[in-house]
Amino acid sequence: MIEGFKHLVNSVSSPVTVFTGALIVLSLMVFFPKQATNKWVAGGLLAFALIFFGIGLTDENFKKIVAAPDNVPIVAMIFIFGYFTWYALWKGVRNDERIAKGEPTLEGLETNEKVLVFPYLIFIEFVVALFYAIGLVVWSLLLKAPLEEPANPTISPNPSKAPWYFLGLQEMLVYFDPWIAGVLLPTFIILGLCAIPYIDTEPKASGYYCYKQRKFQIIIFLYGFWILWMLLIFMGTFMRGPNWNFFAPFEPWDVHKVVPLLNVNLSEFVFVKWLGWGLPKAWFIRELPGILLVIFYYVAPPALLAKTVLKKHYERLGVVQYNMYAVLLLTMLALPIKMYLRWGFNLKYIVAIPEFFFNI
Amino acid sequence: MAKPNPSLYSVEKTFIWFGVASIVLTVSLVLMVGQDYAREWKNWQRKFVRLKVEKTQAELKAAEEQLDQEKLKSLREEYEKTKKDFKAKKPEYRKLQKETHRLEVELVKARALQNDLKQYYDSYRYFLEEYQEEKEPQAAEYKKKLEEIAPQLEASQLAVEKIEKQKEEKEAQANELLAREEELQKETDRLTRDIQQLERALGQIKPDLVKALLNAPMLDFLRPTLQIQQVVVEDLYDDFHFAKVQKVDRCTTCHLGIDQKGFEDAPQPFRTHPKLELFVGSDSPHALEKFGCTVCHGGNGHSLSFKDTAHTPQNEEQEKTWEKKYHWHPLEKWALKMLPLNHAEASCAKCHRGVLDIPQAEKLNEGRRIAVEFGCTGCHKIEGFERAWKVGPNLEHAESKLTKEWIVRWLQDPKAFRPAARMPKIFHLSNTSSPEEKEKSFAAIEGVASYLLHHSKPFELTKVSEKGDPKEGERLVKEIGCLGCHSIGDFGVNHFAPNLSGLGSKTTADWIYTWLKNPKHYNPETQMPHLRLSNEEAADITRYLLTLKNEEWEKTVVSRAKPEVVDDMVLHFLRGKLRREEAQAELQKMDGEARLVYLGEKVIGNQGCFACHRIEGFQEAKPVGTELTNEGAKEVERLDFGFTEIERTRHAWFFQKLKEPRIFDHGRIRDYFEKLRMPQFDFTDEQAERLTTFLLSLTEDFVPLEMQKQLNLKEQEIEAGHWLVAKLNCQGCHLLEGTGGRVKELLQDPGLAPPPLDGEGAKVHEGWLYQFLKSPTEIRPWLKYRMPTFDFTNEELKTIVDYFHNAAKQEIVYDRVEKKPSSETIQAGKKLFEMFQCIKCHQPSEAPALGASFLAPDLTLSRERLKSQWIADWLKDPQTIQAGTMMPSFFPEGQSPAKDILEGDASKQIEAIRDYLLQYTPQEAASLGKK
Repeated sequence: MIEGFKHLVNSVSSPVTVFTGALIVLSLMVFFPKQATNKWVAGGLLAFALIFFGIGLTDENFKKIVAAPDNVPIVAMIFIFGYFTWYALWKGVRNDERIAKGEPTLEGLETNEKVLVFPYLIFIEFVVALFYAIGLVVWSLLLKAPLEEPANPTISPNPSKAPWYFLGLQEMLVYFDPWIAGVLLPTFIILGLCAIPYIDTEPKASGYYCYKQRKFQIIIFLYGFWILWMLLIFMGTFMRGPNWNFFAPFEPWDVHKVVPLLNVNLSEFVFVKWLGWGLPKAWFIRELPGILLVIFYYVAPPALLAKTVLKKHYERLGVVQYNMYAVLLLTMLALPIKMYLRWGFNLKYIVAIPEFFFNI
Repeated sequence: MAKPNPSLYSVEKTFIWFGVASIVLTVSLVLMVGQDYAREWKNWQRKFVRLKVEKTQAELKAAEEQLDQEKLKSLREEYEKTKKDFKAKKPEYRKLQKETHRLEVELVKARALQNDLKQYYDSYRYFLEEYQEEKEPQAAEYKKKLEEIAPQLEASQLAVEKIEKQKEEKEAQANELLAREEELQKETDRLTRDIQQLERALGQIKPDLVKALLNAPMLDFLRPTLQIQQVVVEDLYDDFHFAKVQKVDRCTTCHLGIDQKGFEDAPQPFRTHPKLELFVGSDSPHALEKFGCTVCHGGNGHSLSFKDTAHTPQNEEQEKTWEKKYHWHPLEKWALKMLPLNHAEASCAKCHRGVLDIPQAEKLNEGRRIAVEFGCTGCHKIEGFERAWKVGPNLEHAESKLTKEWIVRWLQDPKAFRPAARMPKIFHLSNTSSPEEKEKSFAAIEGVASYLLHHSKPFELTKVSEKGDPKEGERLVKEIGCLGCHSIGDFGVNHFAPNLSGLGSKTTADWIYTWLKNPKHYNPETQMPHLRLSNEEAADITRYLLTLKNEEWEKTVVSRAKPEVVDDMVLHFLRGKLRREEAQAELQKMDGEARLVYLGEKVIGNQGCFACHRIEGFQEAKPVGTELTNEGAKEVERLDFGFTEIERTRHAWFFQKLKEPRIFDHGRIRDYFEKLRMPQFDFTDEQAERLTTFLLSLTEDFVPLEMQKQLNLKEQEIEAGHWLVAKLNCQGCHLLEGTGGRVKELLQDPGLAPPPLDGEGAKVHEGWLYQFLKSPTEIRPWLKYRMPTFDFTNEELKTIVDYFHNAAKQEIVYDRVEKKPSSETIQAGKKLFEMFQCIKCHQPSEAPALGASFLAPDLTLSRERLKSQWIADWLKDPQTIQAGTMMPSFFPEGQSPAKDILEGDASKQIEAIRDYLLQYTPQEAASLGKK
């Protein structure tokens, strides 16, 4: 029966299903927060994850990857961040209910309760520090740092993986040109994070957990954090094997696995498959459809939405802030869009200019 | 309202958590210290200490048993008695001691006085000299002073001497009283010396409280007795790819008994190293301090854990034991794991370069020999083995020797024709056995045959005119020396040259005749010499060899190639260069024969037949096999294990490949010409193991020149000789360097065997040897075995002469220094010559009366042939030069039986005989004979 379970998991595992599944779970969480944060639902999810890991650890292949001392912290990270996300949403939902009833928020209730730093706060902190120390010592006793033998320049490890904090970017490299995935998008991430205080100037809802009042921002954040960051790291750590092929959780990492790669640029789609003209020589003409599409993507939706649905927000934010918001959001959305285009249509690049080493 | 809790949480409960945390933290910290402290190697060292204590205790017990208890008892009793007696004398002793002390004080005072007086003396003398020089009036004063003080000084010196003497006397007296006691003490000590030593040793190693404290955790930085032992090897390096790191071998941390005698029966890891006088011992050529361990055994010398040092189990059984007992698993990424013990000799080649046979490395040498014998270096380039010869016959003139029918049959399975054939099986192996592949193989074989015959260069065979007697031929083959290299079926002891069975089913009389008369005419590179056969003899041998048929094989039916299969295969190759249409056109241009020839060319190029055979059109072709120069260090990831289940180690792969080369193709879908090509040599397990050792020895490990065994010029010349000796199989007939000469077993009379060649360099003149090898002459007429004519080049002749003479530590001199002995010496020599009846055995005639073992070479040859020093040494004691010789010792123990000639001086007599021999001409011999 366990074998059957493993076969099932292996057969449904692919980048598409993992990504789509995560999107679905996230959507359910953010659109039905009350049900999602219900203790039973959350507990059930946790139990499922634990059982999955429990069963998985009996499998040699799974164990080899998940129990590697390098990867144990990643597993721990997922559980820990999962807990914190649940906690924040749960508290937010509860506060929303209290606000709807007109009661003060939980934080408001606690505001007037103060404790002397010394000795009471320090004491608790001290006990927590002791437990923290215990955790570190026990960790060091059980999980040894993997000290391998000196590197051999003639044998590169396969797969060659970046440190975990760059694995998200390495995963993006599958779908994007290195310039985009390695330079542009990380720059956007950093600039975006820096820009948050200047675009998100909503004064409401500061100092207490809430959800309804900041739904938009929370959704964007959770999407950015979980899908664009954690999920990609998760995939890069556990599901990418030799030659950066995709491997299901219970699949052995075979160096010789050969998977056909048949991706096609948009210009080829347009000029060869649809129009049958053959690729134009000049890159400008050749990539014109792609360039127009990209420009359209960044210009049209914000403009249209400003005039219609988001008119209020446009007026409130002003041109600069609104457009900054738009650019950042559209870039965040571009990732799954490109990924689905790749999976669905074997689309390689929307704009492919090898003459300048620039592709989108 | 109750007063709010100032802490907002239960402080008591938190205290409980605090307690829990503290205890758990303390425990985990203790565990941490413990885990850090508890090292594998410490346990092994403790075990060894126990073993050593046991051993020392056993030795102590044995020593105590050996001790003469009676004597010890009597000594002790006497000692006690003496002590008691001394008690009576104690007052006297004390008195003497007091006296001595008093005298010492006196001595000090006297010496002080002497010193003072000397000071005055020196000072007065100085002033006197000064004043005298200056002619001052004080001179007289000082002169007087000096004169006064001189005798005082003299007196004080005498006083000192007197007191010293007195003191000595008193001391001697005192010691006398104690003398007996000390003597007894010394004797007791002498008796119990061994026991005392052992007790001391035991005290040093026996664990006690102090040692336990010194080794305790946290205190063991001071002076622990459990210490890491390491050997820092000066000139050997570990190659870490980007750096060469000096080798630091910590093996002796656990392998504590390895360099000590006495632990041969101890359990591993304490066992003494085998052959301690060759390895590891401090007097051995491979001392532990100089070489360490990992240079020979491989592995990670820096590490201290059983697993991380890359220990390799020798077999599956040991692997299972290790997995269970030590949780061992192979190190995934350490490239140069320890060599399994049965392949340890592979490391010898790292330092012992440039030699054919590495001393005491039998397995490796055998592996090399097999590799050269079967022509591995023909397909696989190995640096250092470029001078290996092509092991298969020359096929440039195949048409003059073979028929197409024969070639086709032969290629199906060589061993079916001749079980002792060295040629491996190339077609119809485990990865080409399906029906389609069999058809393809038939086509390929026929193609090869067609090619060989089509491109065979014309060659004129000498026709056999004589009839020839097969019986005579058989006798000749067995008697004149063919068996020095060949065997005939099961008969024979040498397998250097092809077995001659079945020759009658293979080729024609004319070919055999032409070949026998002069092999180099047909194949200039052949190793076979000729035996100066007359036409009659050659004809006889030819007839005989033609009778050796393999009738069963002749009757076997062989499938012919199907034309469509041939076409397909030709098309396959044509499409390598042309498109399908053009390839078809090309195909149509060729007729049936041309297609087969084309196919043959492609098959030969693909299979690499030219690795062993010289083939027309492929003389300059490159070998098709993998280069093996660095095979011993090849990354295991680069070896294709296919779908086999063998251990993922280098040696397992090599062994498997040698036993069944095509096995890694099983389960793979591959085109006929993409399949693995290595032929099946049918190696036995032993041969495959030897070859694996050889392959493991092929590394490009960096060993600095200082650490390599470098050959000086003479040794290099000897090695060049070794190579020629191996190439031409001198040891097939001759005993040389301890091996060879097995043809002796085929002869009834051992005297008919070819002579042993050890020490030949000391025996014969360089010039004579040169000429002899160039064109052999008869030395021992009764020998039926003929020394062959090898048609050496001058270079080769020089190499062989240098080899023999360097091996015998001679200075190579081609000129001869003629001494002129006196006539009376010659006369004396002649007398002795007649007295010892030398001619009785050293008979010049062809029909001797004695059995072959007693016959000896004609002495008229001595002048040209033998070295004068050798003759003298030989006469003195033949057995030391050639043990087992029938030459009598005329001068046993350096004494001469002839007391009246040359005053009975043995060495003078020897010289006389030698001098006589050196001018012993045939005329002289004739004159003696007349008498």
